[in-house]
Amino acid sequence: MNLKELQSRFQAAILAGDEEDAAVLDLVAAGGEAGRPVKFGVYVAAYRIRLTEYLDEDYPALRALQGDDVFEALVEEYIAANPSRHRNARWYSSGLPEFLQRHEDWRANPRAIDMARFERALTDAFDARDAETLAIEALAEFSPPDWPRLKFAFHPSVELLTVAAGTLETYLALTAEEETGPPPPRQGVERIAVWRDKFDPLYRGLDPDEFLALNEARAGRSFGDICQMVAFQNQNDPAAERIARFLVNWFSEGMVTGVEMART
Amino acid sequence: MEPLPRLGYGLGLRPVYYEEILSTRPPVDWFEIISENYMIPGGRPLAMLERVRADYPIVMHGVSMSLASTDPLDFDYLAALKALAGRIEPAWVSDHLAWTGVHGINLHDLLPIPYTREALDHVVDRIGRVQDFLGRPLVVENASTYVGFGDSEMEEWEFVTEMATRAGCLLLLDVNNIAVSGFNHGFDAARYIDMIPKERVAQFHLAGHTDNKTHRIDTHDQPVSEEVWTLYGRARRRFGDVSAMIERDDNFPPFDQLLAELQRMRDIDAAMATREPRSAA
Repeated sequence: MNLKELQSRFQAAILAGDEEDAAVLDLVAAGGEAGRPVKFGVYVAAYRIRLTEYLDEDYPALRALQGDDVFEALVEEYIAANPSRHRNARWYSSGLPEFLQRHEDWRANPRAIDMARFERALTDAFDARDAETLAIEALAEFSPPDWPRLKFAFHPSVELLTVAAGTLETYLALTAEEETGPPPPRQGVERIAVWRDKFDPLYRGLDPDEFLALNEARAGRSFGDICQMVAFQNQNDPAAERIARFLVNWFSEGMVTGVEMART
Repeated sequence: MEPLPRLGYGLGLRPVYYEEILSTRPPVDWFEIISENYMIPGGRPLAMLERVRADYPIVMHGVSMSLASTDPLDFDYLAALKALAGRIEPAWVSDHLAWTGVHGINLHDLLPIPYTREALDHVVDRIGRVQDFLGRPLVVENASTYVGFGDSEMEEWEFVTEMATRAGCLLLLDVNNIAVSGFNHGFDAARYIDMIPKERVAQFHLAGHTDNKTHRIDTHDQPVSEEVWTLYGRARRRFGDVSAMIERDDNFPPFDQLLAELQRMRDIDAAMATREPRSAA
């Protein structure tokens, strides 16, 4: 048998989880004290143990939310449906939220799906591309009349999520040192920003105006445009002041990496 | 071929020890990284690595090159590896005599090959292409294996020797892997060490394994076993003062325990130097 065929068979048996696969065991030499199924079984078991570890590490709150048995069954299904196609194990777990969204038994469970989306966002923020952040003093280079034309660039780690209401509260409860169990589910949605300041992923809830403003600022809209959009949503609100407060937060929280004047 | 530097006594750089390493600057001569753990866009791992690199030589040790796979070489992976090497300037780059998957799948394991002429030609060709692409010699490690193949036409050490000679690569001799594979396949680990050509070995690995009575598994979660220490002495006598390090990847002990294992390595070598002074001639 040539090398290509041998590797195909060996891999197929590992993926199938079959340590008694006759087609592979026929290829394996005798030797040592353990029987051939035991020795081949080391590879079969190691494959599942490794992939399970990657998912365990990245989704601790989802595990706590669903319970060990349900989570382990989910992981088993994910592994069976998703052989890794990544050289780097880091990316293996990234597809879990989409897997849940497509899964018949899970797609009606926004609480679980959104916990998975939130935990993936934390993992992504951890090793997102580096960029120097700006202090609020950077704004001093621009005179107030120019502020409406200012545009901002954001750290590559910044991600905005709209998730099931209570996702943050649930995450905090399930990952606290003294675990209190998940709070009851809530109706509606909440909005979250996830990013990294220095080395640590951070997150906080956003009210709808700040979510809108940050989303538009990330899309390259100018300060003036964003003020108009927020004012449009809240007719009697002094939008410029509120957006200026948001801006101060974004700078002080390490989200902003650039500011420039939009060309007219 | 330019000989690689003699770096002394090293440890694996693992996240659990970042803080201690950076705050205490321990007496470790060099650190080895798992290359893939730093082939990421940014963040803490890369920043920690650059800080450690400022004070210590670094060696890049990969687990995904899949040198023996019949899939095409992954030049996206190799380009990312080369970019990391450009950034870190490692003393050398290593990976394993193994395959990790075919048909675009990665099983995230170091899988065994039959020691056939066909496999040898295949691996030699790929090592040559990788070395050309990276612009540096590759250091190739013997992996722990749990099965051998009936089709094998030669012993593992014969395969490794011919591979290194023909491909012009160097060898990372993992002494623990020789002990693990030797037990699993029933070959003589000491003989393996005695048959590897002296001039090809650039580095040693030591690590702990799990003894399951009928078979051993290369888990890197235990102290180095007494049997492996004995084999290490044998390897040291044969290969001289090549760079050596201890791998620990799970069940992490206090860092002092790893330093104590490293000291044991130094003590063995010092005792050997006293007993068997090498001729200066």
